[in-house]
Amino acid sequence: MPDYATLAAYLGTVVISVPFALMFYLGGTTLIGRKRSESATASAVAATTGVGLIAGLMVLGIMLLNDTQHVVVSFGDWVHVETPVTEKPFHFAIKFVFDRLSVPFTALTYLLFGTIGVFATKYMHREEGYNRFFTLYSLFLAGMVTAALAGTIETLFFGWELVGLSSALLVGFFHKRPAPVRNAFRVWVVYRISDAALLLAAVVLHHMSSGGDFDKLTGYQQIDGHDVAAWPYGVCRLPANQVFIVGLLLIIAAAGKSALIPFSGWLPRAMEGPTPSSAVFYGALSVHLGAYLLLRLDPLLDASPALSAIIVVLGLATAIFAALTARVQTDIKSALAFASLTQVGLIVAEIGLGWRYIPLVHILGHACLRTMQFVRAPSVIRDRHAIEYAIGDRLPRDSGSLGMFGVRVYRFALERGHLDAILDRVFCAPFLGLFRGIDRFERRIAIAVNDDQPKVEAPVATPSLSPVEEHAI
Amino acid sequence: MCFDRNIRFTRLGSSVSLKVITADEAHPTSSGSEDVHAKLLHAIDHSSHLLPAQGPITVFIHHNTLHAFEDLSFDEAVQRGAEVFGCHPYLTETRYRNELTKGRIAFDDLRADLHKDLRNTANDTVTNSTSRLDLRLAMLQYPFWTGTAAELEYVLAESDALKRVRSDVSSATRARMIAETRRWVIRELRGTGDTVAPGWVGELFHRFGIDCVETWEDAKWEAFSLESLWQVCCAGVQSIPIEMQPAPTPIRHRDWLVAAGTDDPDLLVNEFLVRFCAAFLDQGISLWPLPDQNLGFYLSFLRLHAASWNPPELWLKDLRGESQRLLNGNVTAIESIRESLEILGVMPSEWDKYLDATLLALRGWGGMIRQVEVRGDSVAHPIPGGTLVEFVAVRLLLDRFAVASVANEVPLAELRETLRKRGPKAEAVPLPLRVFPIFQLSQLLGWSASELHDLSPADWKQLSDEIAQFGPIERRRVFHQAYERRFRNRTLDAVSLHYSKATHVPARPRFQVITCLDEREESFRRHLEEVAPDCETFGAAGFFGVAMYFRSAAGAHFTPLCPIIIRPGHWVSEMVCEEQEQTHRWRAKVRKVLGGASHRFHIGSRSFATGAVLTAGVGVLASVPLVASVLFPRLAAMARGYFGRFVQTPLATRLKLERGSTTPGPEITHHGYTLDEMATLAERLLRDIGMTVDFAPLVFILGHGSHSMNNPHESAHDCGACGGGVGGPNGRAIAQMLNDPRVREAMARRGVVVPNDTAFVGGLHNTCNEYVEFPDADLVPESHRDRFAAAEADIERALDRNSHERARRFESAPLAITPAAARRHMAARAEDLAQVRPEWGHATNAICIVGRRERTRGLFLDRRAFLTSYNPAQDDENGSTLGRLLGAAVPVCAGINLEYYFCHVDSQGYGCGTKLPHNITGLLGVMDGAASDLRTGLPWQMVEIHEPVRLLFIVETTPEILLKVMSRSAVVDMTIRRGWVQMCTMDPDTGKLLVFQDGEFLPHTLTTSQLPTARSSADWYRGWREFLDFAAIRTGATS
Repeated sequence: MPDYATLAAYLGTVVISVPFALMFYLGGTTLIGRKRSESATASAVAATTGVGLIAGLMVLGIMLLNDTQHVVVSFGDWVHVETPVTEKPFHFAIKFVFDRLSVPFTALTYLLFGTIGVFATKYMHREEGYNRFFTLYSLFLAGMVTAALAGTIETLFFGWELVGLSSALLVGFFHKRPAPVRNAFRVWVVYRISDAALLLAAVVLHHMSSGGDFDKLTGYQQIDGHDVAAWPYGVCRLPANQVFIVGLLLIIAAAGKSALIPFSGWLPRAMEGPTPSSAVFYGALSVHLGAYLLLRLDPLLDASPALSAIIVVLGLATAIFAALTARVQTDIKSALAFASLTQVGLIVAEIGLGWRYIPLVHILGHACLRTMQFVRAPSVIRDRHAIEYAIGDRLPRDSGSLGMFGVRVYRFALERGHLDAILDRVFCAPFLGLFRGIDRFERRIAIAVNDDQPKVEAPVATPSLSPVEEHAI
Repeated sequence: MCFDRNIRFTRLGSSVSLKVITADEAHPTSSGSEDVHAKLLHAIDHSSHLLPAQGPITVFIHHNTLHAFEDLSFDEAVQRGAEVFGCHPYLTETRYRNELTKGRIAFDDLRADLHKDLRNTANDTVTNSTSRLDLRLAMLQYPFWTGTAAELEYVLAESDALKRVRSDVSSATRARMIAETRRWVIRELRGTGDTVAPGWVGELFHRFGIDCVETWEDAKWEAFSLESLWQVCCAGVQSIPIEMQPAPTPIRHRDWLVAAGTDDPDLLVNEFLVRFCAAFLDQGISLWPLPDQNLGFYLSFLRLHAASWNPPELWLKDLRGESQRLLNGNVTAIESIRESLEILGVMPSEWDKYLDATLLALRGWGGMIRQVEVRGDSVAHPIPGGTLVEFVAVRLLLDRFAVASVANEVPLAELRETLRKRGPKAEAVPLPLRVFPIFQLSQLLGWSASELHDLSPADWKQLSDEIAQFGPIERRRVFHQAYERRFRNRTLDAVSLHYSKATHVPARPRFQVITCLDEREESFRRHLEEVAPDCETFGAAGFFGVAMYFRSAAGAHFTPLCPIIIRPGHWVSEMVCEEQEQTHRWRAKVRKVLGGASHRFHIGSRSFATGAVLTAGVGVLASVPLVASVLFPRLAAMARGYFGRFVQTPLATRLKLERGSTTPGPEITHHGYTLDEMATLAERLLRDIGMTVDFAPLVFILGHGSHSMNNPHESAHDCGACGGGVGGPNGRAIAQMLNDPRVREAMARRGVVVPNDTAFVGGLHNTCNEYVEFPDADLVPESHRDRFAAAEADIERALDRNSHERARRFESAPLAITPAAARRHMAARAEDLAQVRPEWGHATNAICIVGRRERTRGLFLDRRAFLTSYNPAQDDENGSTLGRLLGAAVPVCAGINLEYYFCHVDSQGYGCGTKLPHNITGLLGVMDGAASDLRTGLPWQMVEIHEPVRLLFIVETTPEILLKVMSRSAVVDMTIRRGWVQMCTMDPDTGKLLVFQDGEFLPHTLTTSQLPTARSSADWYRGWREFLDFAAIRTGATS
């Protein structure tokens, strides 16, 4: 029915645009220097989330009533190039798709965002960076909703970037201490690698099929005599060797975002931010975005058994690594972070096995449960006492005989598999070395050309040691 | 080929260090090594006193943060603390100046304090016509621009600094300065008289156009005055010989390296070591314990790292080899420390300072190790003594590796010397920076250029010294004195004025209430007295003299309920009444099953397979409690309570209090007290608070505690006198003792006669959600039922009002809230997962009054006063009772007060900063994020509204008795004499107030003659969020 279709598209536009409205409101007022009261911010967050969630649920309702599996909201092609080389024009489209994958994920996003938003309005009360927190938090919602509903890879990339940016800035929220800034930087670097991989994948996809639209890319499948492009029934129309390259890039992108091996080291570092952002980012939404990307492009995986195999191995390896590591963590947030990673690894492995609904349900359930646990993290002592009271004794220590490899396994887990050090040594050192080498080379050339003595001595930094300012970390 | 500077240094640095070791041989057990080891142990023990003394966070004991410097005076100690810990000694100058503008600091008090400090040198002339006092007052009153030389250059070039007189200079001073300059220019400089014009004049005249000086406008004259002032100041300061300030010499290698601009080696060491410390100390968050933990810190560390592979971290590449060498050579921890110090080139003469600095690099963890090894009874899994020494051994080992990895090819032992030679020399402060303060002062004090021009170089030197002597720390000290003086005067005024209008006390009160002396009970008692004018209230240390190990009916283990300085000698357990024994057993079984299931769920959700089933299967259901408890905290808590009721311990419980003739012990037959012991305890409590006659028919004894969700620092809100525990059982215990006719008989023989118709009821006041419960209410005799119901209703109304008064301090509670709604608000705060300020705790503490309640009854003290009941009329001439009271109250209350002082003054340094990124570690404490030092002290959210003043004691006694009491207790004496608290006596007969200062008692002079009055507390505080002045509440005035 055309009426319903129009209404659904209209509501879909609301779902997509409210986060941006919130972002522009919070960011805009800050930019022009208008003071906002805490309650104004809180109501804005609550109202936006409410509107977005209701509109999203209404879209879902219309889709169910109308038996539609695919609602497209398109903002047209922003770049359109006719070329004689390819049969189709190159285009760059902003397009959103509501289907069985994106609607539940968007609803989850709104639900958790709203709940944690309400939590944060109380938690962050009277904090210096209250405005900054919510501005970044709204940036995150905009990114998350965009990425979840994206119908083209370029749209997805846009949301992906916003999520990365807001994550890194919230990890470094307490920027007056050095540790959060340092760790945020590390998170940011890993995210950039992941972003670069996604960007490359997008470029390759455009090159191969002249556009990044998921539905055109993955084509149609006939079910019951209807043409259905909706998730999860897409089929891939690209040749297998091309699929493999794109798939690999996507796996790197997903691994960075979801902290899979070998990028897992950033996850505990991300716990520097305020508790609510840790909860919603690393317990629930952001950490699943990599898995979501793989689900979104699942026809590519179907087309290449090799890719699927890589994903299964990567997912299982991450899950096993994280499960071991989680067992030795001594602070509650790291323990939860690695517990989270265990499930993310499993979800990724499930995707590799060709399942579709199971990983989706797994994501939804895991996000809710883990957010709850993160939010209650400061209660861990009280919870433990409650359990000890119930049992009537101190909880026994799980001595779990580790066997002859005990010390080694323990050390591996305690040092988190040395993943950060390995990355530093295998990637960073050669990378830095290469550029330092180039730098030296350039200088030598400059000297040779100018026949001059170099005067590029870096100034000696002399940080102040004044006692009143310096705090040990 | 080397890619990275650091990599190359690592190799060279470590090889050097290894060579030293091998040359040294692994067994240097020479004859002198015993002495060396003893010396090292002593040095470490000495250093350990600098570490924070906070134990596990589950039992939070408030204590003086600067306990290490308790033998110094307060001012010396805070300044010493600033040097050693790098923390603020007082509030910032900006903060004090703010308080000055708001009137919280009085200008006259600043003057008075300066007078006191300077004594007879206050009026000495510093320069021209300015006295030292005026100079210092100006320096206090006006903010001075400070910054770097480059910033100053900008300020001078781009701002109005040389064009306009400072805007805070009075117009008279400004006009005088300009007129004086004008006279100087026209009379002397321009003329061809015999005065020799200074060199800069020509340039200035040229720039300003001296030819048409008659037509200069005001603004031009102003600019000229300032320019000439600047030039005169420059010339003057230039004449002062420069004294080179020696740059502070750091002691650790790390500090030298950081100063030289390399990477920070501590970053490497701390992250690595924090992980291991947490694993070693963990009380139950990890599921696998550290292997070989029982062997101790040092050995388990070595064994962990001697096994298997070399870590890929480049700086640790020698760790495995070194660990194996130490293990195989049986090198002890202390010997390894000696070795490391030798390799690092630390001379024995430097050991003390070097170890101090090394321990302070990770002070939170070091302190926790110290606390846990000393008080093993405070944790589930104790650690052996000597762990701190082993910690130092490991730390120095890692320091060696880290320093070697970032240092240049220099051998470790020579590193500091090399850096010293290479490092920047001490630099003189650039001239403009030295001139600018004097330039600003000149404007403020109205010194014109001509006056300053006449100064001799000696005068300039004197002026500059004078300014230097009143440096920032000194200014803050004076500010702080005035800040405290203002508060002291207001308090003493109020107490003094209120004394003359003593309130009516009922002859035989309808009921009496004994609460903890806690300042949070001040408002509760005041409201209760307003609601029920015929009641009487008392305050005593909240363990009520009953020091015990207590186990509740559902409890898993014994917790000590008494001040931390006491180790209890008695055990008491709560038993379920016989008739409910059946239910109890059944419920205990259900609880056990549910508890086990819940535990398995928690663990399972973090694991691999179970986690997958749980999250994928039932995970979505978690959204229900999540949304409910965040959006509707109180309703969610009520729902939890409703379902929890079915498995709770039955309410009817009794304390097993009576013991036969056996010795006390943790076995059930050895629980409790003998009748004689009970009579002693009961008698002592009543005598301490002066409640020996006129007993009411009903006497309530209320312990207190606090319950709040998601709050790692919850225990800090509990009763300090119960060692950070909940004091309900103590109230119940003492009431049960006092109700026993045999105890009363024994007491009567000792002279305290409790009438037969008096019943005692013990209970618990929850200071967070404002509920009071009486578990033994069913024991109240039939004859007292009505009285009990009436009194309970009064208590309920007082709790509503108390919530209302508390609500005024919370921005999230509207000012127009009703008392009943305020009570609901408090209950919701306690249950809210997102609430980081469930209650303000001790944040309002500032005063401690020891004396009869009549003296302060009806005085609005704004929840700021600890109130200890004490009747001097019943005490002997030596003040035996007072001695007992102060012996407990001074250290406990001063500890609370000083902890709040330091955590407010420097939240990052002394406190644990903001709560928001806190992360519970090992069930022992909190970190910021995932790998920081353990954060001790109080979070900012607890101390935010605190006014950091030293506790003001007002003791109802004479100076003679107080001095006797002080002479008997070293702790009390030191705390008072060294100025860690302010002390004041109130004459028991006349109410005259004497302030103890520098060893003498000085009478307090009233600064006002009026004490405001209000009809009720609510009338007085309504509409206000900040601290309020004190006022008299005249409940009966109109009725």
